[in-house]
Amino acid sequence: MSLAIETHELSKRYRRVSALTECTVAVPEGRISALVGPNGAGKTTLLRLLAGLAGPTGGTASVLGGAPRQDPAFLAEIGFLAQEIPLYRRFTAEDHIRIGAHMNPRWDAALVRTRLTELRIPLDQRVGTLSGGQRAQVALALTLAKRPRLLLLDEPVAALDPLARRNFLTTLTAAMADADGDLTVVLSSHLVTDLERVCDHIVLLAGSRVQLCGDIDTLLAEHKFLVGPRKDTAPIERTHQVVHTVTTARQSTLLIRLNGPVTDPSYQAEDVSLEELVLAYMGADEAAAGKHLTTVGEGS
Amino acid sequence: MTWLVWRQYRAQAAIAAVLLAAAAAVILADGFQLASHWHSILINCAGNTGCSQQASLVNGMLGDLPYLSLIVPAVLGILWGAPLVAHELETRTSDFAWAQSVTRTRWLTVKAGWLLLAAAACGGIITALTTWWSGPDNAQHASAFNPGHFDTQGIVPVGYAVFAMALGIAAGTVTRRSVPAIAVALGGFIVLRLVISDFIRQHYMTAVTTYYDVAGSFTPRGQAWVLAQGGVSTTGRVVATGWGDLYPALPAVCQRLLPGTPTAKNTSLNSVFSCMRAHGWRGFATYQPASRYWPFQGIETGIYVLLAAALIAVTFVVIRTKDA
Repeated sequence: MSLAIETHELSKRYRRVSALTECTVAVPEGRISALVGPNGAGKTTLLRLLAGLAGPTGGTASVLGGAPRQDPAFLAEIGFLAQEIPLYRRFTAEDHIRIGAHMNPRWDAALVRTRLTELRIPLDQRVGTLSGGQRAQVALALTLAKRPRLLLLDEPVAALDPLARRNFLTTLTAAMADADGDLTVVLSSHLVTDLERVCDHIVLLAGSRVQLCGDIDTLLAEHKFLVGPRKDTAPIERTHQVVHTVTTARQSTLLIRLNGPVTDPSYQAEDVSLEELVLAYMGADEAAAGKHLTTVGEGS
Repeated sequence: MTWLVWRQYRAQAAIAAVLLAAAAAVILADGFQLASHWHSILINCAGNTGCSQQASLVNGMLGDLPYLSLIVPAVLGILWGAPLVAHELETRTSDFAWAQSVTRTRWLTVKAGWLLLAAAACGGIITALTTWWSGPDNAQHASAFNPGHFDTQGIVPVGYAVFAMALGIAAGTVTRRSVPAIAVALGGFIVLRLVISDFIRQHYMTAVTTYYDVAGSFTPRGQAWVLAQGGVSTTGRVVATGWGDLYPALPAVCQRLLPGTPTAKNTSLNSVFSCMRAHGWRGFATYQPASRYWPFQGIETGIYVLLAAALIAVTFVVIRTKDA
C-alpha cells in the first residue's frame, strides 16, 4: 500500500522555539488518521507543513508523492481546514461556493448545496451569522467540494457541541465512503473518544516530537497492561518496552509494548483502550521531560 | 479569481464610483462657470489696455478642489490597499483562499493587479477633470508648472494613486496588520511626496539661469517654473527679490538713494537701479522652462511608478517565502 504522507525528520523552528522536532511519520493512503497530542504539541505546525502553508526548517515531507509546494496541481489534491474555520464572514455559503468554482479545477458545487440543504443550513445567509457548528459544516463541505485526495483537518470539532460534532464526523465518514479508498484524512483533535469512532490510524505528538505512529488496531494489540506485585521491572524491560508505570504500595501496573509473549506468571495481562494508550504516551513524554512523577503512592 | 476580487471589493468600487461622480459633478459645474468667466474677461480686455486681467478667477473653497482630487485617491488607495493581504491574515481567511487550487503568487497577481488598475483608472479620471478645470487658471497665471499645480494636473496624479495603492499593499503584507500598515503607508506617502516635490523635483534637469538688466524685468516664456529670482553682484553675491533682503547687500552709495531712507533726497527707484548697474549688479532668474513641463511630468510619474513596482516586487517575495 502506498503512502499518502511520509515525513523524515521534519522540523520547524520559530526563532528559538522548536514547534516540531525531527518528526518521522507515515500515513498510508485511504486511512483516516488521528493526529493527537496536548496543546502546543505541534499538531497545527505539522498540518500546515503538509499543506504547504508553511515551510520546514529541517527534514523532508512527501505528500501524495511530492514535496508540499506552491503548485496548482498539488494544491488541487489537498483539502485543508484550519482550526479557526476561516471563512469570509460577510459572504454567504453560496458566495463561497462560487469562489471555489473559480479557484479549483474540480469543484463539486452540487455536493456542498446538497449537504448544506440536508443539514438545513441556509445558503443565502452571511456565514458570520451562522452558529459555530453550522460554520464548521459549511467549511467542511467546501473543503470536500474540492474533491481532494488528502484532507487535513485541524481540530475542526474542538468548538462544537456533541451533536454538531457527531454530524461533522458523520459527514466525514460519508465522504470517506464516497471516495472509495481514494481519500486520506488526517484529523487533529484532543478528544480521543471522538477520534476512536472514526479513525483507524494514529499519530501522537507530544513535546514537538512523535511519540507513536501506526495502525490503531495493531498498536492496541501490541500494547498490554501488566498488573502484578510490586517488584523489580528489569526482567520485563529486557524483553519489552515499558511505556508507563503506576506503582502503589503493593502493586504495579505497567503499560508495555510487547516484544513476544510475557513469560512471568506473576503478571496478569490486560487489554488497553485507545484513550489509555494515548494518555500513557503523553504521560511518558512528561516523565521524560521531568515535569511529572509517574509513580504515585507511598514508598519509592 | 477575478470574481473573488469583484465580490470582495464591490462595495469599495461603489463608494469610489459615487465619490468620482460627485467630484465630477462639482468640477464640471464649476469648470464651465470658470471657463465662461475667463472668456468674458478676455472679450472685455480685447483692445482695452486698461482692463485688468488679474481679477481673481478662482476663489474660495473650490480653489482647493485639485488638492482634494490629489488626496482622495491616495487615501483610498492606502485604506483599501493595506488590508489586501493584512486583513486576510488577520481574519485567517488567507487559510481559505490559499488552500484553494491557486498559488499565492497568482492570487496576489490578480488581486493586486485589479486594485492597481482601479487606482490608475481613478487617478486618470480625476486628473482629466482637474486638468481641464485648471485650464483658465493656467492661462491667467501661467502657473501650471508651479508646485501645488504641477502635482494636480497632467499624468502625475496617476503615478501618485498607483504608488499609494502599492505602498498600502506592501505595508500590509510586511506588517501583517491593517491598522499599523495604514499608518505606515500614510506617513510614508506624505514624507515621500514632500521630499520629492520640495527637494528633488527641481533637479530633474539642470535649471536655466538668465541674467538681465537690474532695472528691467524678466518673465520666462509660457508656463515656466521660476525657482529663484533677484539680483546678483559682481562678486557673485546673490540676493532674492525684495528690498528687505536686497538693501543690506547694496553698496553704501546705492543704499543712500533708496526712497524712504533718511539720506534719500528726491531720489527714485530708478536712481537706485542706475547705481546698482554702475556697481555691476544684474538681475537673474533661475527657472525650468515651460518646454520641460511634460518631460518633468514623465520623470515624476516614472519615479512613482517604478517605486510602486519595487514595492509590489517586495510584496511578491514576502508572500512567496513567508509562512502563511
